[in-house]
Amino acid sequence: MFRLDPEVYARYKDEVLRLSNSFQHIDRPGLSDAQIAERLGLDERTVTEIRCVAERDCYPLEEWEKAIEFKRKACREWSALVLKRPDLREP
Amino acid sequence: MTDATADTTLEGAIKAIGLRAGARVVGIAAAEAFREKVPEGYRPEDILPGARSVVVAGGDGPTAGAWRSPDHRVMEITGYDLRENVAIHAMCDHIESQLAHYAIQAPSLPMHGHEPPMSMMHAAELAGLGSRSLAAHIILNPEYGLLYYAALITTLPLAPDPPLARPACLNAGCAAMYKRLGTTPCLRVCPACLQGTVKDGVIETSTYDREKCHSRAQTYGIGSFQKGLLAIVNEDDAAQRRTMIYGDFFTKTLQSVGFFRDSIAQCFECMRVCPVGRKHRKLQ
Amino acid sequence: MTPLPADAANLVKKTALKSGASVCGIADASAFDEPAPAGHRPGDLLPGARSVIVVGGAQPRAGDWRATSPAVLHSMGTTERIQSVGRKLAQSIESELGYYALYVPPGTASGDTPFLSFMLAAELAGVGSRSLAGPVLNREHGFMYWSVVLTTAPLAADGPEPEGACPAPACREMWDREGTTPCLQVCPASAGGCLSGTLSAGRPVRTFYDAARCNSRVHTHWVGGFQKILEETLNEPDRDKRKMLLYGDFFTRTLWAVTYSSTNIAQCFECMRVCPAAHGLKEMR
Repeated sequence: MFRLDPEVYARYKDEVLRLSNSFQHIDRPGLSDAQIAERLGLDERTVTEIRCVAERDCYPLEEWEKAIEFKRKACREWSALVLKRPDLREP
Repeated sequence: MTDATADTTLEGAIKAIGLRAGARVVGIAAAEAFREKVPEGYRPEDILPGARSVVVAGGDGPTAGAWRSPDHRVMEITGYDLRENVAIHAMCDHIESQLAHYAIQAPSLPMHGHEPPMSMMHAAELAGLGSRSLAAHIILNPEYGLLYYAALITTLPLAPDPPLARPACLNAGCAAMYKRLGTTPCLRVCPACLQGTVKDGVIETSTYDREKCHSRAQTYGIGSFQKGLLAIVNEDDAAQRRTMIYGDFFTKTLQSVGFFRDSIAQCFECMRVCPVGRKHRKLQ
Repeated sequence: MTPLPADAANLVKKTALKSGASVCGIADASAFDEPAPAGHRPGDLLPGARSVIVVGGAQPRAGDWRATSPAVLHSMGTTERIQSVGRKLAQSIESELGYYALYVPPGTASGDTPFLSFMLAAELAGVGSRSLAGPVLNREHGFMYWSVVLTTAPLAADGPEPEGACPAPACREMWDREGTTPCLQVCPASAGGCLSGTLSAGRPVRTFYDAARCNSRVHTHWVGGFQKILEETLNEPDRDKRKMLLYGDFFTRTLWAVTYSSTNIAQCFECMRVCPAAHGLKEMR
């Protein structure tokens, strides 16, 4: 079982995410794990593991709660407008 | 848009099969076209030796009625019906059984974290089915707007379709809005995930926070399961743990991963306000 | 009671093939009495079952076997497409013929034990035979996925195949030359693999099969993998290390597989990849 050392993770996670496809620019693709590994002097397997953990770790669970609220409000705002139903708008 | 079912060429015949099987649009890209922007290991030729062509099918997302529901939870569950995959299988079967060339469904499920083995978005662009938008760089088809894409890779040489001559984003209304207000409908509704600038009616810059979007587009799914499980495992108080396990968030998460397999896309707010393709969502 | 048409068996097979099956065979339910353990025979699932219909299809395409990316076969299994044929067939038998029909669930009754052995059903229905590596191979199509429908309709049964697809001629030659076959060579139990066997009087005889090891390969990222990581996580006292386990590549991939399990149900094909009889007979370009 491949186990990622939490200290290695903490040291490289921000850089791996920055170089990957996590924060995307429309005019340039992110790097593959192999390309990131070459740039940071790590092996590819370690980069893959760091990236997987970091993708999930990027935002706390509270962000999921914000997502639930955001979607509920945005959907109802739009429905209120398009369906001409001001009662759907949240106070 | 030409009627692919009337096209009697080899390409037209293959597309007609895909359309009959449920695709809304079908396009073709040359395998070698992927070399320019795709890193090694993720190109069609890395997946199927001798790959010459990539056929891309775009399928509808939620029905027009679903878009109208004031309860966003409806589309959280029914966001995806996967019919473009059915179209791909139908075309693959035809290519192998009737044309005696290798054909495989391009693998698109993430293998490591959020990274798919091959980009369906890029395949759709190269096949002339759409272009990247300000809204999370979603590929917008100029006629239908948001579609979901699947692809097949084949050793059969096919004439590729050209990429779109004119990008679908921005449309005239959004360009006018940007000129007036400095924003567009999608940028305004979701500044958390999207940022961008427009110059002369064309996208100048655009950034997309995929990880934040993940918390919205897959609120209840694999990610929330992992987050929830870690929080549960780390909670020392048994009573608190119990409320977390049985609470609404974790229950919805388990429903999503266990039962609502169509629940792949769960946030549509940037697309809800997007005018491209909206005319096809106006019914009685 | 509606009389059964004289050509009912053919009608059923026609429906199956039209619905997308590559092959369809029928076994007599009583043929399971001897080889199948009690509790896992047709009559245990559908009282009064007389016939067992087996459909095969949704097999990996020629291109899938050739793909060099493990992502293809490891993530794109197609069992779901044959399951829908089985479901449709069961509904058609009830609505068209007026007899009870039961689509056998493809999952397990408990643990790793299926409700009914689909492999045995395929053999008895004459649509395939066991290979040295284990999977049932069809003589024309090779490796396939199966779906099974039980019915109280007394349909004309096909018998088992007189001669199986395994061993293929190339394997017989290899055995004579080297004392092994492609499947035994790629996954030998003697070297940490799953298989041991022999060819005896021209027939495959599997002498050893490590089911638990095979499970760790065919279902690497599935229920078992999930349970393993869960146990490791619960036993890990360090919170940072727990995060590495739960957010890591293995668990993330396992969750994808579990949620899409019907399309990701098989994750190791190495014995079949090297098998000359597993890929069907058609030449491609």
